[in-house]
Amino acid sequence: MTAIVVGEKEDDIAEALTVARQAGDVAVLAFGDSSPQALAEYGHKVYHLTASDPESVFTALRKLYDDLKPLLVVAPTTKNLKDALSRLAGIYDIPMATEVYDVKVGQGSVSYRRGFLSGRAIESDEAPMPAVLLLAAHKNPKASKAGQKAEVVELQTAQGRVKSVERMPKQKGGTNIEAAEIIVSAGRGFRSKEDLKLAFDLADVLGAQIGCSRPIAADLKWLSEDHWVGLSGHKVAPKLYIAIGISGAPQHLAGITDAKLVVAINNDKSAPIFKNCDYGVVADLYQFVPLLTKRLKERLKR
Amino acid sequence: MGDLVVLLKPALNPEMIRGTGEGLVDFDYMPLKLSDIDRNAVEEAVRLKNTYFKDSKIWSISVVTWGPVTKRDKDVRMAVQEGLAKGVDEAIIVADDSGVPGDPVTTASAIVAAIKKFNISPTLILGGEATIDGFSGQVTGRVAAKLDLPYISFARKIDIVDGSRIRAERDVEDYVDVVEAPLPAVVSVTREINAPRPPTLIQIRMASKKPQHVVKFNDLADVVKPKRRLVEARVLAVKRKQIIVEGKTPEEIADKLIDALISEGAIRV
Ligand SMILES: Cc1cc2nc3c(=O)[nH]c(=O)nc-3n(C[C@H](O)[C@H](O)[C@H](O)COP(=O)(O)OP(=O)(O)OC[C@H]3O[C@@H](n4cnc5c(N)ncnc54)[C@H](O)[C@@H]3O)c2cc1C
Ligand SMILES: Nc1ncnc2c1ncn2[C@@H]1O[C@H](COP(=O)(O)O)[C@@H](O)[C@H]1O
Repeated sequence: MTAIVVGEKEDDIAEALTVARQAGDVAVLAFGDSSPQALAEYGHKVYHLTASDPESVFTALRKLYDDLKPLLVVAPTTKNLKDALSRLAGIYDIPMATEVYDVKVGQGSVSYRRGFLSGRAIESDEAPMPAVLLLAAHKNPKASKAGQKAEVVELQTAQGRVKSVERMPKQKGGTNIEAAEIIVSAGRGFRSKEDLKLAFDLADVLGAQIGCSRPIAADLKWLSEDHWVGLSGHKVAPKLYIAIGISGAPQHLAGITDAKLVVAINNDKSAPIFKNCDYGVVADLYQFVPLLTKRLKERLKR
Repeated sequence: MGDLVVLLKPALNPEMIRGTGEGLVDFDYMPLKLSDIDRNAVEEAVRLKNTYFKDSKIWSISVVTWGPVTKRDKDVRMAVQEGLAKGVDEAIIVADDSGVPGDPVTTASAIVAAIKKFNISPTLILGGEATIDGFSGQVTGRVAAKLDLPYISFARKIDIVDGSRIRAERDVEDYVDVVEAPLPAVVSVTREINAPRPPTLIQIRMASKKPQHVVKFNDLADVVKPKRRLVEARVLAVKRKQIIVEGKTPEEIADKLIDALISEGAIRV
């Protein structure tokens, strides 16, 4: 039995290796910025591709798949890998699932769990192998390195049909929202980028990080995407999450299921966030947030 | 010039989730609705038709993945109707009880089979970045691979160059890639690509006159039966206190909230 692990970052690959080793022999397809020599220390043959676009990764993976006929292809869940691996799964009509955890390899089939219904439910699946699994982040332990360094093979990039004309890097805010203890999170209830100052002031007194809903980062771009909380953003687990002007769509709630305590400030008493918070304040954020900041300052003596 | 195809999923509406006594998802209770980002896909198809492909026809294809299909008929019609009202010209619905609960393997093969059955020669196939029920973002990539067409995922902007090439901005985690590919191609769009407008009353009335074809797997060639088995779907129960903090003045509310946070150990004085 064999498995192929596909990835770019060492941490992602180490997590995928833990899952893939259940299937037996493993080969690694590392692309882009990855360091093939460091990856070879895990003891599995490394195929390295300098390109990182989904089409090149797909083309290289397909060749490797045809050669090795693996039972499992394991990778982290990223947008580019959803692209590349869905093509492989499509060519061979094999099952594929994203953001999976609790992976168990059985006789001819693999079982796993994953979020479902925009995070409101958990599904348990069983799929015949070969299968393609994209793992949820940080839910699998990292594999350890082996005593012996394995071979590295450099792959050539084939000419694809989708050509990159220009690459525009995204702004990074430098926050690591997933590790934050307290998060003050802003939604569409804020009327302008400047008004976010109210959230920043509150965050200052609390020593909190700033989070936001998808439209604030992806659509309006008032904050960089490392602040984006939810199903398609970051999953957070703070001891306190203060949602301000956020309606509480299932896709937002999907990011805060592990928050210990959720506070909601919203002027619509029927907003779904009030059914999904511990403490709710029905108020205009423009009046209430500055007041809360002021009282906290006085009482915390900051 | 060929036609445009948009993939519209009648998806389970997560906002209407309910559990059975055992905490399992009560599928029978949950209604279907047009998956949110597929609305962006139709909006974009209509815009592209009006801008670049005036003589093309827009087809929609929907595969029913939650059954029994007879019980889902009304919801499916509503979802498809929404596409027709927004500007789809002709709709195909694949509804077969042997395809539920759905598997992307089956969905993609049914979409490809429907394209062949109706002799559609697509210039562009558009879908959403992910659905609200499965959220897997794989059906569009599968369709592209099966048809051997170029695939552009997570497009937040699309233009057509010289009538023969697509230029798009792919929006991924760390960067935006401007890419170009020859047509025909398959594209998945993000939620940010446009702001879908609700159809007008006249559009809704016109929609019911447009052709809709309902087909079963037997009417199509090579539909792959579901491979994945859904063993269990459990409602994720997150228990929250749901206490609304009230008071005579905003100051009193703020103080009560701070008291609560202190007694919960969430903040320290
Ligand atoms: C596949 C998919 C994935 C998605 N992924 C994510 C995700 O990862 N993260 C995410 O957040 N969303 C995600 N979304 C979008 C999600 O469905 C919602 O559209 C989004 O969360 C809404 O953001 P919001 O709450 O900020 O805005 P809105 O829903 O517009 O809510 C704004 C709220 O502010 C309140 N408000 C307005 N004015 C005031 C005021 N003066 N004072 C107090 N309150 C006020 C309103 O009552 C309202 O409740 C996804 C959607 C889809 C379809
Ligand atoms: N059952 C379906 N019928 C029609 N289109 C679908 C179906 N499932 C998925 N799609 C299309 O593929 C996109 C991605 O879906 P998914 O891979 O399920 O996240 C959706 O946004 C739709 O455009």
